[in-house]
Amino acid sequence: MAAPTAKIRAYAKQLLQLSLENGLVSAERVAGVLAYLEKNPPARPQAVLQAYHKLVAAELAKSEARVEHAGAVAPEALAAIAAALGKRYGRAVTYVTKPNPALLAGLRVRIADDVYESSVAGQLAALSAAS
Amino acid sequence: MRWGGPPPWRTLPFFSLFVARPQSVLKTLARAMFVLLAASTEAAASSGAAELIQRFGIQPGYVVMQFVSFAILAATLYFFGIKPTLAAMDDRNSQIASGLKNAEATAAKLQEATEQAAAQLKAAQVEANKIVDESRKAAKELAERETAAATERATALIAKAQQAIELEHKKMLADAQKEIARLVVATTERVLAKQLTEADRAAYNQAAARELTSV
Repeated sequence: MAAPTAKIRAYAKQLLQLSLENGLVSAERVAGVLAYLEKNPPARPQAVLQAYHKLVAAELAKSEARVEHAGAVAPEALAAIAAALGKRYGRAVTYVTKPNPALLAGLRVRIADDVYESSVAGQLAALSAAS
Repeated sequence: MRWGGPPPWRTLPFFSLFVARPQSVLKTLARAMFVLLAASTEAAASSGAAELIQRFGIQPGYVVMQFVSFAILAATLYFFGIKPTLAAMDDRNSQIASGLKNAEATAAKLQEATEQAAAQLKAAQVEANKIVDESRKAAKELAERETAAATERATALIAKAQQAIELEHKKMLADAQKEIARLVVATTERVLAKQLTEADRAAYNQAAARELTSV
């Protein structure tokens, strides 16, 4: 597949800006953008849609924390983590949880390209790397 | 007989005198002839002597003729026989003497050449000894330099080998340490996976949440 041109990337960014509401991706706005594209297809609709999808996914990842855990986690603790991340990144952050027994115990949080971890497996890995 | 020496017959006194001074010999003979002639004449004058001469049949005219004939014969033999022969023999003797002289000179030259050759041989031997000594000295210095270089190279090789051994030892220790740590971690993971209870995990998760919140 050919890489999107600068013009296509710029057009996809414009579509992303139209998809945000209060700095967050809005499902309604995304649906409106897609309807517009369906009615007014661009010159290379597949490339434009792929670039738009990539930007929307990246934007959603910025405001969504994926929390991996081993063992039970209190909802209050997850909410506190989301609040701390929202304060840190300057936007509202939601979270989704995913069990990961390989952590043995503890949490691993991914938001955008950042990873925060406090787990037994991580400490053992650090110990193994340090030795 | 030695070459170049006078022949034996030339050593006779009369002959040597005749050969050396034939004119004086002839003059002496003539003088003696006149003395005898005068004596015979005077004797003829005396009565006793005249009788004696008469008895032996001596006549002065014949005696003179004998002397003249002898003188002519002697002069003829001398000038046409003896003198050329003596001259040829003298030439031959002089040639032999010259040859001997040349031979002596040649022998002297040969001796000189032999001495010179010996001197040159001695000088060449001295030079050869000097060259051999210098060659030995140079070979010794070269051997010493090569030995020193070889020793230096060997020392460097030993040092490098020791460094390699030390590095290998450190690497082996590091590998062993890493393997031991991996085994410890793997064992710990297995043990914790079996031994941790849900309560332990929940408590650890609560602490991890507090830690992540404070980041």
